[in-house]
Amino acid sequence: MRQLRYVLAALAAGVFSTAGHAQSTEPITIGVSIAQSPPGSVVQGTQVKDGVEIIAKILNDGGGVLGRPLKIVYEDNQGIPEKGRAAVEKLISRDKVVALTGGHQSSVCLAEIDVAHRYKVPYINTNCWSDDIRTKGYPEVFNPGNYNTRVSSAMAETIAALKVKNVVAFAENTDYGIGQAKVLAEFLKKMAPDTNYKYVALDRAGKDFTPAVLPLRANPPDMVVNIMLPPAAYILMNQLYEQGVAPSAKTWFYDGAGIADYPDFWQNVKEAGKYMLAFGLYHPQMPMPELGQKVAKIYQEQAKHEPNRLIFQAADSVLLIARAIEQAKSTDSAAMIKALQDMQFEGVRGKFSFSKEPGYGFQQWVDIPYVTYQLTEVNQPLSKTTLIQATGQPLQTDKLVKPSN
Amino acid sequence: MLALDLFVNGLIIGLYYALMAVGLSMIFGILKVVNFAHGEFYMVGAYAYTLISLNLGVSPWLALPIAAAAGGAIGWLTERWLMRPLYTGYGSWGLMKDEYAVVVTFGLSLLLINLFDKVIGPYPMRGPALSDVTRMSIGPFMMSGHKLITAGLAIVLIVGLALFIKRSLWGRQIQAVAQNRLGASIAGIDTARASCIVFVASGVLAAIAGALLAPVINPAPDVGIFPAIKSYVIVVIGGMGSIPGSIVAALILGVLESFGAVYLSYDYRDTYGLVLLILILLFRPQGLFGERSREV
Repeated sequence: MRQLRYVLAALAAGVFSTAGHAQSTEPITIGVSIAQSPPGSVVQGTQVKDGVEIIAKILNDGGGVLGRPLKIVYEDNQGIPEKGRAAVEKLISRDKVVALTGGHQSSVCLAEIDVAHRYKVPYINTNCWSDDIRTKGYPEVFNPGNYNTRVSSAMAETIAALKVKNVVAFAENTDYGIGQAKVLAEFLKKMAPDTNYKYVALDRAGKDFTPAVLPLRANPPDMVVNIMLPPAAYILMNQLYEQGVAPSAKTWFYDGAGIADYPDFWQNVKEAGKYMLAFGLYHPQMPMPELGQKVAKIYQEQAKHEPNRLIFQAADSVLLIARAIEQAKSTDSAAMIKALQDMQFEGVRGKFSFSKEPGYGFQQWVDIPYVTYQLTEVNQPLSKTTLIQATGQPLQTDKLVKPSN
Repeated sequence: MLALDLFVNGLIIGLYYALMAVGLSMIFGILKVVNFAHGEFYMVGAYAYTLISLNLGVSPWLALPIAAAAGGAIGWLTERWLMRPLYTGYGSWGLMKDEYAVVVTFGLSLLLINLFDKVIGPYPMRGPALSDVTRMSIGPFMMSGHKLITAGLAIVLIVGLALFIKRSLWGRQIQAVAQNRLGASIAGIDTARASCIVFVASGVLAAIAGALLAPVINPAPDVGIFPAIKSYVIVVIGGMGSIPGSIVAALILGVLESFGAVYLSYDYRDTYGLVLLILILLFRPQGLFGERSREV
């Protein structure tokens, strides 16, 4: 009888040690909620996915995180807030993800972070610009991407430097679009008080913006600002060009949505994109750490075209989660959040830490680098565009060119 | 000057709406059902035109009739496979006509959107223009050569359709079937063929509308949803089943939206048609060109 007990005890020990071993090599699951079908920005969603895949492979090839491989679970939110909320709910409760990332449309992010906050799961905001995401002050939400205040401040600086008097912005009717248009107004009041500024809200699902463009023909402004995402942004650009409003000898066209480096940009805008002035979060002439260069090289080999900012932002989002797990030595949410709050992170775009100041800078990479550049030829690759403002450098407006008519 | 600009732009948009709406109106006129996949006929035309000309290097002028043929083919297949149970010998199935038509066309719509999304991809792609002139002045108006050509083609097609319905033998048969399906059948008219012609014509018109607008709207799989909604509004405003009514309502809607967007608010642009629709339903429920009728 005693012998039987020893045998059973030995068997039980074996079983539990095997289970323990399985636990330690079990994949770490990360949830990624992106738009993979319309009406969301599928172009953005695909770029985010590409960046996530590249960095996950790099990490897994290097032995994973705490010796465990990363497993990415994707959910399609279609760019619809309700779907985003459901996607995150499913990722947390069914897929048991340790953290969430991928968000690239502000309205969706705003819906998703409420769920992440409720479950107290870390949420790395990849590319949602709305300041409202930061001002909510959720401790679970970290923002390594761009934000409306940053881009509006940069744009106001450019507008002031160009000494333009009348500016019209076309903003999509979303949290991101309206939010950025309003923040730009505030910055212009301070930085270019003599500038007359107004914004027009347009439906992001719209196909004909001519009625909004026509009034500008009779009285063209000095600058038209784009605060819309594709495909609506492309349609707007073509209709502005067709009506001779912008870009023209009189009117600058300034993109504040960062659309110039999208892979389908030139196919959709052609001549309408020439002479466009652009705010950018990535340019091949920006300094980049070795890991960032590696990500860029892999992407270029896979996609056969230059990477854009979303590739790097997505890579950094996953890398942040990986580093948080490593520092916390666990996948416990509270420990990961604490690690992220105190972390000095070195990612694919450089070194940064998250601000603790409340407001738009809460848990934000406040000094995220940006550039300003101009497209001077149709089908121009990003590397050939004219850099008007390098990272942290003053604007060189003398480099700008305007069309002759 | 702005008012004139808006009026011309509204008329051009109205012409595109009309191309879409008359097909829907014809189907309702002859079958008394609403085709919820009509927007996807438009999407098929836009994609066929864009993909054929961009990927195969075919001239846009040649891609246009191919796109029309694709629209006609999908119209024919829809009628042949999905709609025919409504009126030929499937009585024993116990079909409820209206419910069947809603379910089957709505299902087709979802199928086509998702099929194109998965097979071709969700990215918008801009179709090539019929003219290389990207912008030009015609008196006080600015427009692209493509827009000018498409406006002209839309007028030709609408007039051609009106003549076809009014003067041709098939057109008269369609009118007869629309008035009284059983009576037309007793008079020896092949009602199934008339229905088939209507579906093919509807597919052709919607596909041409999609193709003509491909350089403007940058086709994506869901591109047909909005024009289809507009078409439903137009068909009701014009009078269910009335082709002239649909054309006039489309032009009115185009101009109304154009002016409303500037003089009222751009934010509510898509609601102006709905307001007009409510007013019509309140004061003239049969629509602008519709006739009051009752069945006994």
